[in-house]
Amino acid sequence: MSEDLNSGTAPAAELDPVIHAQARLRIMVVLSVLREGDRLAFPRLQEMLGMTAGNLSIHLRKLEEAGYIDVIKTHQGRTPTTLIGLTRRGRLAFEEYTAAVKALLSLTEEE
Amino acid sequence: MVDDADERAPASPEETLRLIEAARAAAQRDMRPDPRLTYVPWGVAWLVGFGLLFLRFGPGGRVLVAMPSWVPLGALYVLLVGAFVLSARSGIRAGRHVRGASSVQGLRYGLSWAAAFASVVVIASRYSDRLADPEVVLLWSGLSVAVVGVLYIAGAAVWQSRDMFVLGLWITLVNISGFLAGPGWHALAISVAGGGGLLAAGFGEWLRWRRGQC
Repeated sequence: MSEDLNSGTAPAAELDPVIHAQARLRIMVVLSVLREGDRLAFPRLQEMLGMTAGNLSIHLRKLEEAGYIDVIKTHQGRTPTTLIGLTRRGRLAFEEYTAAVKALLSLTEEE
Repeated sequence: MVDDADERAPASPEETLRLIEAARAAAQRDMRPDPRLTYVPWGVAWLVGFGLLFLRFGPGGRVLVAMPSWVPLGALYVLLVGAFVLSARSGIRAGRHVRGASSVQGLRYGLSWAAAFASVVVIASRYSDRLADPEVVLLWSGLSVAVVGVLYIAGAAVWQSRDMFVLGLWITLVNISGFLAGPGWHALAISVAGGGGLLAAGFGEWLRWRRGQC
């Protein structure tokens, strides 16, 4: 799989459309608070975001398709569990997104 | 179907940044234990428990306030168990449904407390029958507080917490000075300076926790 990463900060006008939607942005923020190498189980993520399971799944799929998160289905004893964490690429994309927003903001202030 | 509001982009860069900061602070508060439950119960337990111990087993064998010896010991025991339950529950709550490196860290750190106190109990029990009461109290509390100080320092290394590091050093210093001063004085030092230190650390951490900064 070729991972064509944007190099450096994206131009201010081009905020990453995958992240630049309220629901996915909030998902990315919560996952970015986790320490690297940690994953959050689906029910806890859902509870923290206050989203319906169906809605959360749709947004998670989009983030997964972009390669920003990985979703691991596993078993905790006999209970199936879905664990979600940021990929390295996702962490980077979120950092770049935040930097781009800040750059946009300082541009607006200068005007 | 995807909710329209969910798919909509934040209105402006200011709005985006505000959303990020608010969501980050809320997530951090949710995933870090409340310091009012992790530090304060221990602070209260030390302040009251060791305070009673000081009043019953004062310096030079004096009894400052007459009470059966089981009263301060029982009170300290109950307060410590209560503090343990409160802080363990809030730690488990904060870490529930999180898998990976930090759950392993948390588990091993928790086990280090169990290992240390198992050793304290075995070592101190052996000498408890051969020493006078004030010395027995000093032996148990000196060893236990030593373990607490060291484990706070170790915890500071695990979680990169400066506050926890300072607290661990402070507790160690108070414990050593109190121990050298002897029975009675040790209980007073742990009550006031140790318990006070825990309360101060809890308050400081709480201020940061409230803002989602720790």
